[in-house]
Amino acid sequence: MFKKIGLAVTFSPNSKALLKETKVYSEQFASEVIFIHVGKKNESIERQLKELISEYGFNSSSINIVWDEGDPAKIINKKCKENDVDLLIAGALEKEKVIKYYLGSVARKLMRDPVCSLFILTEPSIEPKPFKKISVLIDYSYESEILVNVAYQIAIKEKATEICLIREYEVPGLAITVYDTGSTDETEKTRKIWDSEEKEKMDVFINELNLTEIKVKGVCLYGKEGWEANNFVKENGSDLLIMSAPSKKLSFIDRIFQHNEEFIFKELPCSILLIK
Amino acid sequence: MNLTPEDITRFLIAISVMLFAAKVFGELMRLIKQPSVVGEILAGIILGPTVFGTIAPDIFNTIFANSKSTDIAIDGITNLAVIMLLLVSGLEVNLSLVFKQGKTALYTSVIGMVFPFAIGFSAAYFFPEFLGIKDPALTLIFALFVGTALSITALPVVARTLMDLNIFKTQIGFLIIASAMFNDLIGWLVFSFILGMLGQSGHGFDISVIITSTLVFIAFMLLIGRKFFNRIIPFIQNKTTYPGGILNFIFILGFLGAAFTEYIGIHAIFGAFIVGIAIGDSAHLKEQTREMVQQFVTNIFAPLFFVSIGLRVNFITSFDFMIVLIFVVLAFAGKVIGCGLGAYWGGLKKDEALAIGFGMNSRGAMEIVLGILALQAGLIHERVFVALVIMALVTSLSSAPFMSYFIKRFKNSIDVNSLLRSDLVFFTKSNSKESVIEELIRKLSERYKLDYTYIKSEVMKRESIISTGLGNHLALPHAKIKISEVHFAIAVSKEGIEFESLDEKPAKIIILLLTPFDHPELQLRLISEISKKFKDEDAIKELIDTDDINNFITNFKSL
Repeated sequence: MFKKIGLAVTFSPNSKALLKETKVYSEQFASEVIFIHVGKKNESIERQLKELISEYGFNSSSINIVWDEGDPAKIINKKCKENDVDLLIAGALEKEKVIKYYLGSVARKLMRDPVCSLFILTEPSIEPKPFKKISVLIDYSYESEILVNVAYQIAIKEKATEICLIREYEVPGLAITVYDTGSTDETEKTRKIWDSEEKEKMDVFINELNLTEIKVKGVCLYGKEGWEANNFVKENGSDLLIMSAPSKKLSFIDRIFQHNEEFIFKELPCSILLIK
Repeated sequence: MNLTPEDITRFLIAISVMLFAAKVFGELMRLIKQPSVVGEILAGIILGPTVFGTIAPDIFNTIFANSKSTDIAIDGITNLAVIMLLLVSGLEVNLSLVFKQGKTALYTSVIGMVFPFAIGFSAAYFFPEFLGIKDPALTLIFALFVGTALSITALPVVARTLMDLNIFKTQIGFLIIASAMFNDLIGWLVFSFILGMLGQSGHGFDISVIITSTLVFIAFMLLIGRKFFNRIIPFIQNKTTYPGGILNFIFILGFLGAAFTEYIGIHAIFGAFIVGIAIGDSAHLKEQTREMVQQFVTNIFAPLFFVSIGLRVNFITSFDFMIVLIFVVLAFAGKVIGCGLGAYWGGLKKDEALAIGFGMNSRGAMEIVLGILALQAGLIHERVFVALVIMALVTSLSSAPFMSYFIKRFKNSIDVNSLLRSDLVFFTKSNSKESVIEELIRKLSERYKLDYTYIKSEVMKRESIISTGLGNHLALPHAKIKISEVHFAIAVSKEGIEFESLDEKPAKIIILLLTPFDHPELQLRLISEISKKFKDEDAIKELIDTDDINNFITNFKSL
C-alpha cells in the first residue's frame, strides 16, 4: 500500500515515539523507511541519529538519512518529493495555541499542503496501540473508494472493530427560502428528503464495496462540512480519521474563513491519515 | 409628539390591513409559483394612492394618511423592517461557500457585478436627462446609484427559485447561491458608501474617517466579532431559554451594528448586514434558529415594508414608460450578459452560463430597499423609483421561467423512468448470467456506438466483486465507464436466470446500467431508485407476467 515511508527525526521524546510507531507501520505495510533530518549534516549528529534509530529496531546498516537546512516543513516536503516517499509520518498536537494555529506549526503546514499521503499521530507512543475505530470521510467519488480500501486494509491489520463512513452535506441558503413561503415545514420536509436520499446512496455505496470482514457503518450529517465530521468523530470515539488530502494548498484566508479540512485541522479529533 | 388614542387605533388598523393584504396577495403569488414579495408589493399598490386612494380617497386617508404622528410610527416600523431584512440577509451569507466555489463563483459574481454596474453607471452618467435627472451636481452620485441598483441580486428570490426548480442541492445551485451572496456583500458595501457620500446619515464625519471606520468595522466584525460570536452562541443556546435567548442576542447585536454604522455615516442597514454575516457564519447557530429569525422578520416586518412602498407612491401618475423600459433593458442586459459571461469564462457551458445569468437577474426585495432609501435621501424622484420597482418585479417574475428553460437543456435530471427506451427493453432467451449481460451490452454498444470489449470487461470486473442479483427477481449489472451520459437496457427472462441473488430467486428482470465514470453519485442514486422499485413482490410478479414490451414499460414506470 505504501512502499516508502518518510519520517522526520530529531532527538525529542516525541520523535522517539514516532520512531517506534514508524517501525510498526513499516512492518505492517512492508515499506522502506527514509529518515529526514532538518539541519546541517554533521558526522557526530549522524552517528547519534543512527544509534537512536537502531534502538527502535531498524537495521543500522540500512538506515537512510537525508539532510537539508531551511524551513522544516518545506525541507520535509522537498525531501519526500525527491525520494518518492508515499507516506509521511508526523506527530501533531490536537490543538495549537491561537497564534501558532494562524502562523502554522510544522505539522499544520504539512497538513495544509501535503506532497504525499500524510499520517498525523496525535498521541504517538513507544508502545503503539492499534486503532479500534476508524472513521472515513467520503463523498462517493472514486477517491472515496480508495480511502475506504485503505481504511479496510489498515482495519484488518490493526484488528479494528468498526469502520464508519461519514458523508457530510450542507445546502447553504436553505433557511432563506422560508423568506418566500413562510414555511419551516417545507424546509424541514426538503431536508428529510435529502437526508433519506443520502442514506440510500450510502447504503448502496457500502454494499458496492462488499467489505465483509469488518463491520462498516455509514452516517450522513447535515451541516458545515468538516465541522460536523470533527464533532461526530469525537463523539463516536474513533481513534483514526482517514480523509482525502486538501485538493489545493490551504492558505491563511482558509484559516480565517474556515471550511472543510480546516475545521478538522484546527482541533484534531484523533490521529489523521490524509490520502493523496 | 405623542400618539393620541385615536392615532393608536388608526395605526393598529393600518398595520392590520397592511399585514392582511400582504398575506393574501403573497399567498396568491405562491399559488402561481411566483415570489410572495411580488404579491406584497402589489398589495401596497392596490391599498395605496394608485388604486384604493383613487377609488375611495376618504377611507384611504382615514386609515393611512390621517396624521403626522401615525406616519412617523409607520415610517419607524418600516425602517426597522429594512434593518431586520438586511440582518437576516447577512445571516445567510456564507463566505466560506464563496471561497469553496472558487474561480467560477468569483468570475460570475465579480463580472456579474462589474458589467451591470458599468452599463448602468454609463447610461445614467452620460444620459441623465433620459432618466429624469436635471441637477448636474447629482449626476455622479445618481450614476453610482443606478450602477449599484442594477448589480445587486436578490438572494431570497434566487434561493426560492432554486428550491422550486429542485436544483438547490446541485453544483449549479451552490454556484448561483455563492455568487449571489458575494454579490450582496459587495453591492451593499458600495451602496452604503453612496448613501454616506450623500451625507444623509452620520454625524458629519469626513469621508476619509467614514471609509476608515467602515473598513475597521468590517474587519473587526468578520475577524474578531465572528470568532467571538461563534464561542458565545453555544453558551446562549444552552444556558438561556430557547429560542428567546438567541433571538434576543441576534437582534440586539444587529441593532447595535446598525446604530454604529448609522453613527459613522454609513447607513444603518450595512451594520445590520455585516453583523448578520458575522453571526450567521457560526457553525453552532442552529438551522431552526435561522428559520425562526426568517419567519419572524419576513412574516411581520418585511410585508409591512413592502406594502408601505405602494402607500408612498402613486404608480400611475409616476409611471414613465421610457424610464421603465430603460431600467428593464439595462437590468436584463447587465445581469444576463455579465453573470453569463462570468460563468462561461469560469468554465461552464453556454446553457449553464445562461441559466446562471437569468437566475442572477432576479432583483426583488433588495433593489426596492435600495430604491426606497435613495428616494428618502432625495437622490431619485418617484418616477425613477416606480421604474425601479417595476424592474424588480419584472426581473423577479421572469427569473424562474428563463432559468428553468435553460436548466432543462442541460440538467442531469435523470431518473430511471426517463431512461427507458422501447428498443432497449426486450425479452431474452439467454440462460446464463454471462450471456444475458453480453446480450445487453451488445444492444447498448450497437445503439450508442460503444466499445463492446471495454464495457464487458468493466461490467464483469464489477460482477466479480459481488453478484448484482439484488433479489425479488431483479439483477442489476452495472459499471462506471468513460461515457458522457447514462445508458440503460432491460432484458426480461420468462424462465429466469441464476444470478446468485441473496433470496435465491432467479433473475427475471435484468437491467444493465452504465454511468459516467466522473459521476459516481449518479450511479448510487439510480441503483437506489431501481432497488426501491422492486420492493413490492406482487407488482413485480405482474410486471414479469407482462407479454408486451409497451405494457411492460408502462408498468415499470408505474412501480
